[in-house]
Parts: sequence; C-alpha cells; structure tokens
Amino acid sequence: MNKTNEYDVIIIGGGATGAGTARDCAMRGLKVLLVERHDLATGATGRNHGLMHSGARYAVTDHESASECIKENMILRRIASHCVEENDGLFITLPDDELSFQSLFVQSCQKAGIKAEIIDPDFARRIEPSVNPDLIGAVRVPDGSIDPFRLTLSNVLDAKIHNADLLTHHEVTGIIRQGDRVTGVELMNHQANEKVSYYGKVIVNASGIWGQHVAGLAGVTVNMFPAKGSLLIFGHRVNKMILNRCRKPANADILVPGDTICLIGTTSERIPYDEIDNMYISTADVDELIREGEKLAPSLATTRILRAYAGVRPLVAADNDPSGRSISRGIVLLDHKERDGLSGFITITGGKLMTYRLMAEWATDLVCRKLAVDTPCETAEKPLPGSDKDDFSVKSATRKIYSGLRVVHRSAQDRHGSLAPNIASRDEVDDAMVCECEGVSIGEVKYAIKDLHVHNLKDLRRRTRVGMGTCQGELCACRAAGLLGEALEDAGRAKDDLANFLQERWKGMHPIAWGEAINEAQFTSWIYEGIYGLKAENN
Amino acid sequence: MKFDTVIIGGGLSGLTCGIQLAEQGITCAIVSSGQSAIHFFSGSFDLLGKVEGREVTNPLESIKMLPPSHPYQRVGHHNVERLAGEVPRLLARAGLHFSGMAEKNHFVLTPMGTMKPTWLTLEDFTCFEQNGELPWKRATVLNFKGFLDFHTLFIKDGLTRYGVEVQTRDIAMKQFEAIRRNPSEMRSSNIAKVFDAGDALNQFAEKVNELTEDADVVILPAVFGLFNTTVTADLKARVKKPVVLLPALPPSTPGIRSQILLRQRFQELGGTYLLGDIVQEGEFKEGRLQNITTANHGDIKLEADHFVLASGSFYSKGIVAGPDKLYDPIFGLDIDGESDRSQWFDKQLFNDQPFMHYGVKADEHFRALLNGQPIENLYVAGSVLGGANPLKEGSGAGICMVTALHVAEQILQ
Repeated sequence: MNKTNEYDVIIIGGGATGAGTARDCAMRGLKVLLVERHDLATGATGRNHGLMHSGARYAVTDHESASECIKENMILRRIASHCVEENDGLFITLPDDELSFQSLFVQSCQKAGIKAEIIDPDFARRIEPSVNPDLIGAVRVPDGSIDPFRLTLSNVLDAKIHNADLLTHHEVTGIIRQGDRVTGVELMNHQANEKVSYYGKVIVNASGIWGQHVAGLAGVTVNMFPAKGSLLIFGHRVNKMILNRCRKPANADILVPGDTICLIGTTSERIPYDEIDNMYISTADVDELIREGEKLAPSLATTRILRAYAGVRPLVAADNDPSGRSISRGIVLLDHKERDGLSGFITITGGKLMTYRLMAEWATDLVCRKLAVDTPCETAEKPLPGSDKDDFSVKSATRKIYSGLRVVHRSAQDRHGSLAPNIASRDEVDDAMVCECEGVSIGEVKYAIKDLHVHNLKDLRRRTRVGMGTCQGELCACRAAGLLGEALEDAGRAKDDLANFLQERWKGMHPIAWGEAINEAQFTSWIYEGIYGLKAENN
Repeated sequence: MKFDTVIIGGGLSGLTCGIQLAEQGITCAIVSSGQSAIHFFSGSFDLLGKVEGREVTNPLESIKMLPPSHPYQRVGHHNVERLAGEVPRLLARAGLHFSGMAEKNHFVLTPMGTMKPTWLTLEDFTCFEQNGELPWKRATVLNFKGFLDFHTLFIKDGLTRYGVEVQTRDIAMKQFEAIRRNPSEMRSSNIAKVFDAGDALNQFAEKVNELTEDADVVILPAVFGLFNTTVTADLKARVKKPVVLLPALPPSTPGIRSQILLRQRFQELGGTYLLGDIVQEGEFKEGRLQNITTANHGDIKLEADHFVLASGSFYSKGIVAGPDKLYDPIFGLDIDGESDRSQWFDKQLFNDQPFMHYGVKADEHFRALLNGQPIENLYVAGSVLGGANPLKEGSGAGICMVTALHVAEQILQ
C-alpha cells in the first residue's frame, strides 16, 4: 500500500472492466487504486456463461457488437491463454427452427469478420457427440470458454505488478467533491468496520449495474436498466464445443462447457433497480432452463444439476437519454465533465465481458487525455500474468498431457497457468489435497491466501475452485476454513466464515434441491450442524 | 431364498432390529447397499437433545412435548422408556460399551470445542455432567501434521470460551509417509490402520507424553481402533495424562468399528448379511409383500414372512426427491411430505428444513402404507420414517434404535 492516500486515478468496481482499467492505467504509468465492495468478480463478471463470444450471436442483430467481439476474442486468445479454452462453437438448427435463418446468419457473421462455416449435420454429430441428433443444420464459429474469475484476477495481478493498489471489501459510501470537481472517495472498510477516504485526480465509475448508485453519490444521473439472467450449472461436462441455437437470441439457448462442468443459460427478465442485490431464481426459471437445455444436448435430462444462479446485465440508456428508450448493448463511456459539468469523474459501462479490455482501453484513453499522458495502450499485446509465452512451449504442453504429474499439479497449472510454480510444493504436506473434487492442494490454498487477496472462504473459492465441485464443499469447506483460520490467526472468525460459506453454497443449491443435491445438503447439515455443532451465528 | 424376516438397510436401525430378532431365534437377512450413517458417527447417540430450540434435560419427560405424529409419540412414552433402557444392553452384547441414560442427558465436547447434550457415549469418548464446566485449567490439543480433518484452532477457540488455557501442537510420524504418498489418503480410517498394527502407537504415546507435561489433559482426534478394538484402551494406558478424543471429519473410525461389531454380532447370531446389494422391487399379493428382488441375486428372490424397511433418509437413498415428486425408490410407498418442491426447503441453511421431516408413511403398528392401505407384513423403522427433524431435535440415533426395537416387537408378537 502506498503511504499516501492520493492517486492519479481511483477505479470503482472489481469486475473485469474495473480490473482491466486498473491494469491499463497502471501500465501507462499512472498511480492507481482499485476499490471493490466485496471481492473480485462478484457482480455481473462472475455471474455469466463464461462464454468467449465470437460475436456470432450478435451478428444478425448488432453488427457493431459482433465485430468488437471477434476482435477481442482473438486478442484474449493471445493475452489470456490460461483463462481461455479454444473450444469453438456450433450454432445448430433444430426441426422447430427456420433453416432459412442460417444463410442470413452466416452472411452477417462474415460481414463482421467472424469465420462461420456451414457443416454437415452428420459431421456435427461426429465432432460434438452430445449434440441433439435431430439437428438439421450446423454452423461452426470460433466461440470459446473463458474463466471470468481467473481473467479478472490476472488483470489485477498485472495492475499490481505495475504498482497499482487494490482494496477489496471496501464499499464506496460517498464521492468527495469540491464544487464541480470530484476529488476522492469515501470508503467503508468492511473488514475493520471503519471509514477511510482516498483522493484521486480522476475517479472512474466501473461498477456495472451499481454504476447508477455510484453516479448518484457524485450527484449525476446514469440510468441503468437491470435485466436478470438465470443459469444452471451441471455437475459434468457433457459437451466439448459451445452449443447455440441458430436463431435470434432467446432464452436458454447457449450451453457452455468450462473446466469440469457445463452451464446452460440464460433467461432474461427486466427487474426493478432495487432488486439487484437480492436476486432469486424461480422454479419456472429452473424448469425453462432444463427444458431448453435438453434440446441442445439431450443427455442434460439425466445430468446432475449442481447450482442455479443469476446475474444482472448492466444495460444502460445510451448517453443523454434518461428515458431509456434507446438502450445500448454496446460500450457506453460517459465523460461527466462534458455531459454534466462535473470534472474528474467518468463512467464506463454497458458492453460485455468479451469487450472488457476494449472498455478499459476507452476509459484509460480518456483518463490519460485528462491527465495529459500520451503513453499508448499495450493491453492488447502484452500477455497477462499466467499467460506468459513460456506457457505455449512444447515443454508446457507435454507437462499438461503427461499423466504422471499429480492431480494437484495439473489442476494448479490449469488454474494459474505460468504462475503455477509460485505454489509451494516442497513436500507431501504441501501436495495434500484440500478439495478432492477440484484437486486443490494445501500449497495452492496457502499461495492464494498469501498472494491472491483472499479474506474469506468465498474469496478463496473464486481463486482456487475450493467448494465448486460436485459436493459443493461438503468436507473441503472445513479443511479450507481450518487453513484460513490458521493463516489469519482468528479461529472464531473462521467458524463464522465457514457458516457463511455453507449458506452461500446453499443459496445456489436450494432452487435445484432434488436428487443428489438434496442428499448432499442433508449430509452436509449432519456433518457441520450435527457433529461439529456449527451454528449460523457461531459466536 | 426364504427367511423369517428380511430387513432392507444395514445401518443402525436395520442392525438393531436384526440383532433383536436374531437373539429371539428369528432367521433374518439384512440387505445393505454399503455405507450407512454410522460412518459419520460422532461417538454419541442422541435420544432427544432439543425441543423447540430449548435444551432437554430429561429426554423421557420431554418426549411428551413432541407432536402426536412424532415417531416417539407413536411408539408410546412407556415403550420408549422401556426400549431406550434395552438399547445399551443390546450394544454391550455386541461388545460396544456406552455410558449414559435416557432419564438424564450428559454432555460431550464437539469438534468446535463447544458442548452438546447427548444420551449414550461410546467408552472411547468423555462424558461431562454439566454444560459449560470443564474440569481442567490447561489442555493441549494435538494433531497429526497435515491431517486436515481435525481442527485444533476451532477446538482451542471453543475451550478458551470455557476458561481453559489451550496449547496446540502438530505431531509428525514417519509411519504416515506411506499413506501420504497418495495425497487423498491422509484420512481418519487410514491413520487408524497405521495404529492398528505395528509399533506406531508406542512411539506416538511417547511423543504425546513429551509434549503434554504441562497439561491437565490431552485432546486428540478419534482415529484409533478401526479393526483392532483394544487400541484406544492401549493408548489411554500409555499416555500419562487423561486423553479426550474428539470426532474428526468422516469417515469416523469409531463409527466403522461400531458398524463392524454390530454386523459381527448379527452374523454370530445366525443372521445373513448381504453386503453391497440393492433391493430393486417387491411383489405384493392381497396386501402382503411376498418377496423382493435384489441387484446381485437376480432371479433368486428373497421371500419372508415379515419385511422391515430401514433404508434411511435422503443421503442413504431411502427416499428420493425428483424434480416433481418424492418417492420411495423400492416399493413406491406413500410419502409424508409436500409434493411441490418449492416447499421442500428454507432458504436459510441453518433453519429447520422441511425436507428433513419427510419419510415413508406408516400406520399405528409402523406398517408401511401403499395407496393409503397398510402392507400387513412390511414395517418401517429408522430415519426412512417421517415426522421428525432428527438434526434439530438431536434425536437421530434414538429414533433409529427405538423404532427398530419397537418394530422387532411387532414382528415377535
């Protein structure tokens, strides 16, 4: 932490956009502070499909977004290789769909620069055996899967390498103004339960859907229109390629594989702004997702469901249109000096996970103009930590394939890329497994606690995948809580943290609480409440 | 194959029922799919620990406050008293010695370092008369280096609140290097195997003695005596300070040992234990169950005069929740539970979860109901019965054993 609490730029929001902006600003030599009220990637960034859009989905309806997507897609394959799975996607036509849509779709893709190739349904069945065998048409596109937690963390780690500071669990409670100039932020430190103030020449509002609230604190109006999207996570990975329906975007028509699981989504429902922090998933949402998912890959009917969750799309009124008549799905950059006469404050919003880097570049360009800095943007060329060149080497590739390596080493390699050697692996105790489902070792947990900004078990889960496997933290939660309690030297807090973590896992389980999910939940309750005597409020 | 009684489920209730019947000369078979809830045995059996959130002092008295639909009320107060008295004698005949009585709960320490009321506690573990009063000033909590299923700091945190000064230490043992080579193998039952054989126990006891000179008591994870039943006593004899064992994460070493001893007792009495087999369906005729089919026995059906369903709750798959219904996967018996899945749960994990109360419906003689009609010779016992939340009440083992003995009496009549 810098001694002084004055910065060139303070960025509000630890999602992909905020993290990307912090990285870009720091790489251009600015003194940067990134603040986040919870943990990295806890908002919209961590609650989507994890789909690395080729742009094909938008090609027919939104040419500009489509062409932005494909450019960024290609960039992320280079700079974020350890966050990306290059799976490719299929846009399939089912007997219920219009096959004639296919030619419009392919034309639009090509116009946007997306390589879209019509393939024979038989060939599609062969390259993706999980696909609905009734398909009558298929188009192959360069979609992929991306881990948004890893992506955000890598951006933050690189920002830190370039001397940026980071405060998680710090909520913005006020924007400090001097007349018509913004000069700083007032924060609530939720760990210490105390207020602190930091000062900056420019404040960037990159808080997604919460941007309306943050802008309000500065006294300006940004109208957001929250759209809730629900998703289901299945306990196995049934598909290798991303499966889409070849039709205009609709509910539950994308199935994305990622790591050991796959995801179906999403629904889309406009919700009132005051519900954005309190989202629930209805029985009807769950049923619709299953019904539509089975059409893409019939084996989903018998695949165990692990969790249900929902995120909010940060849709925004295009610039000076407070009525929301022209809602944009594109990037919205607001210079509040020009728009509202308020200096030192900008909002970057709209856009998509796929365009986070471009959004960061736009925001950073504006910050640099304001600060008269003319260093060019390099985020599209320089790889993120974990995706260094070494990782493309033959040696690294063989290491990934070589089956003699321990599960924990291979899992760590997948999660942390070229940063994996930072994980202690001195002896068999370091290599002992905390989480059997996801292959998380003691060494990896210790590395995350020490170097990856972990304050509680939920943070640890987002860094390591502890508790994200089939059992949803049945035994590993307690093991991890023990290690965290030791590291933080606060066993009392670790017990509360454990109770909170189990509650958070249950939040995603109760909407799908039947079959194995209800069995595991009952078992988990017996262990923690029955044997251990854990209570909701342990202290 | 023909038996007097066939019991479906080899957990605590199935074994209790089977032993009781076999002791009376009844020819029994138990069909067990494998692991049961005994594998996460804490070391104590609860009869009734809480009613409406309040701690119970005398379970036999407090049973009267339970709703009429509760399994204890349906067994009847006097029967519960009589059968609860029978339980420790039955267990002792199997070589399992417990302290405690149904008239007054005692207290045990949890792995969080807190105290909870309970009914019967296995001799490995330590009983306390009062809640909140511990007879020591200084305790040393020991763990094995790298054993993640026992949490010394949680225990320390709890005990400190009772005014005990706690030290924590890790012990490294070269005997564990072999089991550590497979990283998932540093688990209770594998540690126990190391102590079951060889001289590891001697060396361990010496290290414990070196580390606990200043302590009034030494606290250790309950990972002793899996197949070798004398290990816990040997350990306590070699360690100079009083030894208090606390449960670790499952699998539970004393649980597996208890399961083995109960099964041996059942088999020594002439019972047939079919392990790793799953009951698939039953054949009914005129309101009676004629026989059952199992996965391993194919065409060879198991026939009996009486059948007992002791197949456990959700985690044992005694009842199954599908997206739109609850069902008993073997016979399709009537279920006591909501059909709308949005009613099954509470959004707060630690609240009373409705699904915990669900189970198979039974008549006043604990005979299973199918389409509202009792099956004359199919009884229901243990946690597959509905009508209680054993977790919130602290009544799981009590319901299992009391209803199992009650059902055995119905069969013997």
